[in-house]
Amino acid sequence: MSVRIAAEAVGAAVLVALLAGPLEAQERGIEGLPGEAVLEVEEEHTTAVLGEASPHWLYVLDPVFPHLIASKVYVVDGDSRRILGMLNTGYVPNMALSADGGAIYVAETYWSRGTRGERVDVITYYDGRTLEPVGETVLPRGRFLVVPKKPNLALTTDGRYLLSFNMDPATTVSVVDVRELRYVTDIEVPGCSLVFPTGPRSFSMLCPDGSFVDVAFEPDGRATVRDQEPFFDSEADPVFEHGVVSTADGRAFFVTYEGKVYEARPEDGRMRVVGEWSLLGRADRAESWRPGGWQLLAYHAPTDRLFVLVHRGGRWTHKQAGEEVWVFDANARRRIARIPLEHHAITLSVSQDEAPLLFALSEEASVTVIDATTYEVRGVVEGIGDSPFLTYVIGE
Amino acid sequence: MASVRLDDLVEKAARRIAQKTSRRSLLARLGTVLAGAALVPILPVDRRGAVSRARAEAFAKTAQTTDPTQCNYWRYCAIDGYMCSCCGGGPATCPPGTYPSPSSWVGTCINPDDGQAYLIAYRDCCGKDSCGQCACLALEGEMPVYRPQLNNDIVWCFGAPNMVYHCSSAAIVGRV
Repeated sequence: MSVRIAAEAVGAAVLVALLAGPLEAQERGIEGLPGEAVLEVEEEHTTAVLGEASPHWLYVLDPVFPHLIASKVYVVDGDSRRILGMLNTGYVPNMALSADGGAIYVAETYWSRGTRGERVDVITYYDGRTLEPVGETVLPRGRFLVVPKKPNLALTTDGRYLLSFNMDPATTVSVVDVRELRYVTDIEVPGCSLVFPTGPRSFSMLCPDGSFVDVAFEPDGRATVRDQEPFFDSEADPVFEHGVVSTADGRAFFVTYEGKVYEARPEDGRMRVVGEWSLLGRADRAESWRPGGWQLLAYHAPTDRLFVLVHRGGRWTHKQAGEEVWVFDANARRRIARIPLEHHAITLSVSQDEAPLLFALSEEASVTVIDATTYEVRGVVEGIGDSPFLTYVIGE
Repeated sequence: MASVRLDDLVEKAARRIAQKTSRRSLLARLGTVLAGAALVPILPVDRRGAVSRARAEAFAKTAQTTDPTQCNYWRYCAIDGYMCSCCGGGPATCPPGTYPSPSSWVGTCINPDDGQAYLIAYRDCCGKDSCGQCACLALEGEMPVYRPQLNNDIVWCFGAPNMVYHCSSAAIVGRV
């Protein structure tokens, strides 16, 4: 008998034994074994599909600073505090969610040979349940390559058009129709940056002189640009890039390095500043409290509460992680709670439901999940990627 | 002081951007032309902005002149990113196979050995993925991205053959 035949014979015997083992166990009736010890004989290998998006899901965007071409978006369930899935995304991506989370829009950049070759900038459409890419629209003018900032990409208030800010270094806004998966145009708005939606076909941007500029466009791409007067001092006390605009109740808040709050109303295609107040009292200033971090504001529209990351520090500490979250009644313009953070945070999100969760993302890739009604910590999810920076919830 | 004049130029450029009406469209066209012709370096770009002598002195107090792999190396008073000195390059050398960006932002740093202030061009080296070594960040004078010449988050590889950020260098370009 040749060696080969012998090997085959042994292999066949092993196979018979493998097949026979579980069968014998089943035939023996597996009496006395606990139910969980009994394995299915033939387990089907499946791929998970997510259900309808929950308001308590958090979408965590990780640019992966040490490996910028390997960015990701994680979907995390705030109730179970488990990761539900992940997307691979392109270079320094930005994302936006449809109102129900059924679609995830990612603005991303790729090179044909990884870090070299032909560059392509695209809006990629991901299915919110399978987390698979289902289509894309090329951005012919490109997009802004920068550490991801939420206001680089926004949906218009009705969710029809996606607005992607571009600086090359001339500044434009690319408009994409997400219903028809069609690039519409690039609108030139020289000198001004970021996009804050103000209507179904309008948005505002922040300009270097401390003003908003209001932009409206037609479905054929024609646009009108209307200047406003400055409302803040961009030399002495600039507003943070991460303002919050609530489509749900038509309110917007912008906070300055020194803790001033400007409330604005996005209405009739304009961002109209309607009020000014301060996060900080005299005692707070004496203790050197100031706002800071990255995505440092979150707003809960159903209860008109503004959540702000704050830390103690001097001027030019505006990116320092927050030691506490301060909660403000945006109507009374006063602080109603302070939440100390064991894991200092750079980014905040709050779910928009009636039993809201507050999510505080740290620079150590952890998310602290906080009951946004009682302010009790529900738990901490650790190890979400490498260097996550932005978080999103549905219905923001 | 030359640094003041440079900072003035930066600020004037910012104000020009800030001015509205027809100048805005002019700037858009200008920006497009500059990007297309890789003439970006003439745009005054300063990630840190109007760095005052006082702030530069504050950095210089704890700065050293011997080890460019440390964040307190004297030329890094306004730097942001991964230090090229830790990636196979040096303060004025890009690591092998990467390209110095023709655009840069500028800071004024004091050499603690001679007490002189020098103009430093912070050029990104571009064309490979992040070096990932020796991350340093300075925030003094750092402004939001709607004042781009003062913002340190932007991938300043405009005009380089490829827009992939690798590391940050710090070349001396003049004495103040």
